[in-house]
Amino acid sequence: MQATKDTFYVTVRDRLVAVDPQRTIIIDGVTRPAILVAENEPPGGGPPLCDAFYLYWGGARAVQPAVSTLMEMECTISYRTKGTDQSGNLDRGRALASLDNDVLAICAPPNAEKCDYSTGADVDLSSTIFWTQPVFSALVNAPPYLGRDVSITVFFYPEVNQT
Amino acid sequence: MLRVLGGEQITVRLADPSTGDTNSQLGLEPPTVSDVQIAPAVVQVAPPAKDGTLRIQVLVSAKALQPIADSYGVTNIPDWLLHSQGLLYHGQLVPIATVVTNQFAGGEYLYLLTATE
Repeated sequence: MQATKDTFYVTVRDRLVAVDPQRTIIIDGVTRPAILVAENEPPGGGPPLCDAFYLYWGGARAVQPAVSTLMEMECTISYRTKGTDQSGNLDRGRALASLDNDVLAICAPPNAEKCDYSTGADVDLSSTIFWTQPVFSALVNAPPYLGRDVSITVFFYPEVNQT
Repeated sequence: MLRVLGGEQITVRLADPSTGDTNSQLGLEPPTVSDVQIAPAVVQVAPPAKDGTLRIQVLVSAKALQPIADSYGVTNIPDWLLHSQGLLYHGQLVPIATVVTNQFAGGEYLYLLTATE
């Protein structure tokens, strides 16, 4: 499962760099693409940053246990924005639409070659992960923030000798 | 005032600048940390939360904190504290949950930190 989670993250991160290179955040003094996996960050890392994508991994299960070893795992991409101060935060809807567009862009095409990153290098596992089209939740309006959760189901074949 | 109330010292644990590479983003490479001592401070153990978790309140002066923040190139001290790893209290790392800033005549002079397990 870890290889699936790592592969999905690295794939969408690299796509974000390609489609929206200006969307970056600064964490621990380093500028990086504005997408991160919540479980890989410090637990007391403060409130979520604006205009950044947070990946949360959920439950996993066999798709058709009697037929195949194919598994599915839930992934939620959460983000929020308050627009810009220069426009009096009136552009928060547009800012959210821009984030929505980025999600659509980084989720397509809905597949990637699965790699094992546990050794520090990407080792091709000769398998593919694939996922559903993103499902956008209703707006989460918590003034001054406007946010959304996006649900995606990621499919993969588990590797027996993989952690 | 803080010295009269005890004048203790607190330790804030900060993550050092990350390498920002894939390994650190995947949780494979933990960041190194620095422990920063701040004094004077007043430490008060607040009544525990309903679930019994530890709560600590700390008063620290802007005068004590500002030079340290400057050395890290920090302009927003409350945000910097909130994104630190937390306070070290009897060897236990307790994340900072809130930072309340007191201002006088347009300047910050006191910070009230609340850390919870």
